[in-house]
Amino acid sequence: MRLVVDLNRCQGFAQCVFLAPDVFSLHGDEALLFSPRFDEAQRDRVEKAAAACPVQAILVDYSDEPTKGVEPHVG
Amino acid sequence: MTPGTLSAQITDYANRADPYPLYAELRKQPVRREDDGTYLVSTYYEVRNLANDPRLSNDTRNRPPRYARTADAEDQGLPPSFIFTDPPVHDRLRDTINRPFGPPHSPSFLDGLRGELAKVVTELLDAFDGKDQVDIVEDFAYPLPVTAICKVLGVPREDEPRFHGWADALASSLDPRPGGGDGQEKGQRARQEMGAYLSDLIETKRRHPGPGMLSALAPDMTPADLEATAVLLLVAGHETTVNAITNTTLTLLRHPDVLERFQKEPDLAVPLIEEVLRFEPPVQFVPWTTALADIDVAGTTIPKGSPVWLMLAAANRDPKRFVDPDRFDPDRKDNEHLGFYTGIHYCFGAPLARIELHLAVPELFRRVTFSRLLEDPPPYRANAVLRGPRHLPVAIEGLTV
Repeated sequence: MRLVVDLNRCQGFAQCVFLAPDVFSLHGDEALLFSPRFDEAQRDRVEKAAAACPVQAILVDYSDEPTKGVEPHVG
Repeated sequence: MTPGTLSAQITDYANRADPYPLYAELRKQPVRREDDGTYLVSTYYEVRNLANDPRLSNDTRNRPPRYARTADAEDQGLPPSFIFTDPPVHDRLRDTINRPFGPPHSPSFLDGLRGELAKVVTELLDAFDGKDQVDIVEDFAYPLPVTAICKVLGVPREDEPRFHGWADALASSLDPRPGGGDGQEKGQRARQEMGAYLSDLIETKRRHPGPGMLSALAPDMTPADLEATAVLLLVAGHETTVNAITNTTLTLLRHPDVLERFQKEPDLAVPLIEEVLRFEPPVQFVPWTTALADIDVAGTTIPKGSPVWLMLAAANRDPKRFVDPDRFDPDRKDNEHLGFYTGIHYCFGAPLARIELHLAVPELFRRVTFSRLLEDPPPYRANAVLRGPRHLPVAIEGLTV
């Protein structure tokens, strides 16, 4: 499971950090840090974080899993 | 439709259950001047741009005296709370208040409340046992956010009956035309009484710190700033998430096809909740902004000093931004709704509201077998801004563990 954040879109609303604090964090007030790979235990939180992003900058990629396809959150 | 009457119709209680046709009418003229010189902005891109425009002020003291200001900005001996301020004061206050609440300093504060809040959800639903009828507002959607905001702030839950009435009166004072003008006065009185209660509580927390934001903020803020903040957060915690939970329940019961799918696919909760925030946002519009300069928007100049209403619920159904906008579609991609506003005043409590919704909605529909809505439309509260049902009576068939 992989994460991509479009940092050109990210405006530092930090909603992802609130919802998945073990995957996303803020460096200073606005710079977003995140772990591009996360494990199954974080999946639910990452889904919530991606859906909550006010500018839909988070893409969750499940293509390394045999059971589920890519679900782009950025249109 | 007669010109100049749309804002009056939107605030008219007769249209509370379904304001969306009025919003569609509004969008025909993205920037509309009302007879009193107020401007209503209702299309997605125009609302979003203005919400990010530093020439638009949230401080109603910038309005010429002939226009209504918020009760908040009236002289109560208290400064405006941060929602009614502009940079740099706004940024300084919000940064301070955010310190014990969220990242970068406290990224796990809200996440750490999940367990306790999940327990509250369980207890509220357990109480449905043996009933064939419940009121989703009184029995579920109201008690959860109240408990949550009390925990977040460190306000004793047993004092709730005291501030329940104050919160209601204060929320009505945000309404641009509440019941013939005495709403503002009631709001001011409520603010004073609630302020006195909170100022005592803050003084106690300063001497004997406990859990919650009030204790954490007491050393870093003036008593007046902290009191104004506490009033704002307590009212917001009482009057917004209740609508989000209730609107989600109502919308699902009105869309049996989505409900049936949701019961098979619990993961649908997450996009479904975002879609409700677009489709039926708990804050319908922001009527307290003021132009600080002449602003050109979509071919119209909003003159300096004009009150501006940003119509979030209308923008959320703008067909130029959302395909088939009047359709409730949890599969909607790219759902950049304005349900929590945008820009520097993006809802401070949004992450708390989402945590509550993520806990409450799936559990409600997993455990309760709903039979039907007993009143559709349900009775609404008077408020046009913080719009939501006063009661949502539903017939239920059963409760699982």
